[in-house]
Amino acid sequence: MLVGLMAWLVLDAVNVTPNRIVSGTPYRAYEVHGWWAALLAGVPMLAVMVLAWRPDVRRLQAALVVVVGLLSAMPLWLATAVAALADPDMPQARLGVGSSLWLLLFLWLLVVIELRTRLGLPRAFGWLLLLPILIGWWLSLSFWLEPLALFREYQVRSEQFASAIVYHLALVGAAVGASLVLGIVLALGMRRYPGMRKAGFSVLNVVQTIPSLALFGLLLAPLAWLSSRFDWLASMGVSGIGWAPAWLALVGYSLLPMVRNTYVALEGVEPAVIESARGMGMSRRQAFLQVRLPLALPVVLEGVRITTVQAIGLTAVAALIGAGGLGTFIFQGLGQAAMDLVLLGALPIIALALVADALLGALAERFRHGGTP
Amino acid sequence: MIELFDVTKRFGSETAVDAISLRVEKGEFCALVGSSGCGKSTTLRMINRLIEHSEGEIHLDGQPVRSFNEELLRRRIGYVIQNTGLFPHWTVARNIGLVPRLLKWPRGKIRARTEELLGLLGLPREEFADKYPHQLSGGQAQRVGVARALAADPEILLMDEPFGALDPITREALQRELQDIQARLNKTVVFVTHDMDEALALADRLVVMHQGRIIQQGRPIDLLHDPVDAFVESLLGGLDRGLKEAALTRVSERMAPFGPRLLASERIPYRASLSQALSVMLWHRVERLTVVDDEDIPIGELSLRRLLGAKSS
Repeated sequence: MLVGLMAWLVLDAVNVTPNRIVSGTPYRAYEVHGWWAALLAGVPMLAVMVLAWRPDVRRLQAALVVVVGLLSAMPLWLATAVAALADPDMPQARLGVGSSLWLLLFLWLLVVIELRTRLGLPRAFGWLLLLPILIGWWLSLSFWLEPLALFREYQVRSEQFASAIVYHLALVGAAVGASLVLGIVLALGMRRYPGMRKAGFSVLNVVQTIPSLALFGLLLAPLAWLSSRFDWLASMGVSGIGWAPAWLALVGYSLLPMVRNTYVALEGVEPAVIESARGMGMSRRQAFLQVRLPLALPVVLEGVRITTVQAIGLTAVAALIGAGGLGTFIFQGLGQAAMDLVLLGALPIIALALVADALLGALAERFRHGGTP
Repeated sequence: MIELFDVTKRFGSETAVDAISLRVEKGEFCALVGSSGCGKSTTLRMINRLIEHSEGEIHLDGQPVRSFNEELLRRRIGYVIQNTGLFPHWTVARNIGLVPRLLKWPRGKIRARTEELLGLLGLPREEFADKYPHQLSGGQAQRVGVARALAADPEILLMDEPFGALDPITREALQRELQDIQARLNKTVVFVTHDMDEALALADRLVVMHQGRIIQQGRPIDLLHDPVDAFVESLLGGLDRGLKEAALTRVSERMAPFGPRLLASERIPYRASLSQALSVMLWHRVERLTVVDDEDIPIGELSLRRLLGAKSS
């Protein structure tokens, strides 16, 4: 919190740019509304610090409320900053979010997570906490924050943005789905044929160590050749660039964690449990489907979680070979030196990864129902 | 009735069980004892075909086990193992209902049977039916394991060191309960253990195995009196054999009606064993005890001479 307070007072809060290319004029928080307002905003942060000094349940709860309030209020403050800094002469001017606000956002979110774990609140409650924050941001974005640079970039590309998200998710879903099916088949095969296990894992390990861009490059030539040989492949859109090599590479990268988790999960089931299942008169199928698989499921889902988060990130890189998705914005932005466009691609990717992580983590936890602690 | 005729099991070149023959009558409690690796667990698991025997024949009620479908065979045989093998993702009630469900009993009948078994094993339904195995103590979990094995009312119960992982007090309590259950339900039980006291306390028939062979079998008392060799003798307790034998006999079998003398001041329940009576005598330095019934009412007396087996006191 002290760091947050320093950042709030010292680093740039916002910067104003006449247009997209020119680098802007930075403003610190106290330069926007004056010293008094800035210090006033510092009071809740001090309060959290005091509350966390000698923690008990009551104080931590109070601190949580304050921090959630701060997070919800941040966009409102931005809105007032917009109002204060708006220059009627420059309707095209845009407002960039400065380093202090990013840092605060990050710190406060950390504090929320920390407080939630310390208070032992359930996951659902965590989502509930995010609700006022999201409402605050959404309201301000729709009504007052039009000059925010990030929002400007979004407005220009709102349709592109929506389709990019859908495309990104579709690619990730297709890759994770395919690697889940393949991974389970491979893991089952490895359990039956020990020889296959060594070979399989070493191949997958090698795939994992190839840098992603190199793998895309490696897939370029054979796929281009394939699509030129077989018309039906070409008509499906398979070519050296585009979704096909991206999908293949994603599946390749996803396989190792998937196979490893599935294999370990299935092997990790206590032998006594399986023996008693067989001894009670369950058939092999019943013992597998009713006992081994459900007991392995949480660990398998853990594999799906790791793979999904990894694939969401990798798909961004796949934009380089024309696979589309949110990565497109990042590389466009980099090409045009427009940081806000980069953020428009990067922020949703981070958000997607976090949401996928949380959802799949919650799912895995649910399947642990009552089972081994 | 279970019969084994010259049954041999080889794992590769190693012979785990070497041409053993054994006959367990219906309603008999048969304990397989021996040091670890003697082939007793293997023998047990060949009966329900978790391990297939290499040679010889195993019959259940006169029919070879190989003539049954292996899953159907196992559903007719209760099976209890040391670390319970309860399914951690199922509740206690569901675990117990496993075999009835495999046998496609109607739902109501499964529920009724589960409740009956929870009662039989002293686990109140309200408290335990919806618990998960990791919420149970070792003794409770093994009770559930026994209940699960009894669920479909099998004729035969196979138990592989079922109480081996329990503390001595819990183990003794469960042994007593198993005796009660056996007295009531009259199952044919094959019980593997390396704890000789457990085997002596529970078994009608004791089978001593060593290096894959049966070296002696018979009533516990006969083995105690007449061990075939030094190995059986040492397994049965060596110098402690006298005490082990005394542990098999109840005070009620040796007590005498009241004599002309005053009641002895130290008391012993009529259900206690002779070894316990001897221990009480040693402790109090007395030669006479008053035998009392469950209500602590004197019903007779036991002198040291009678305890030792002399005809008159």
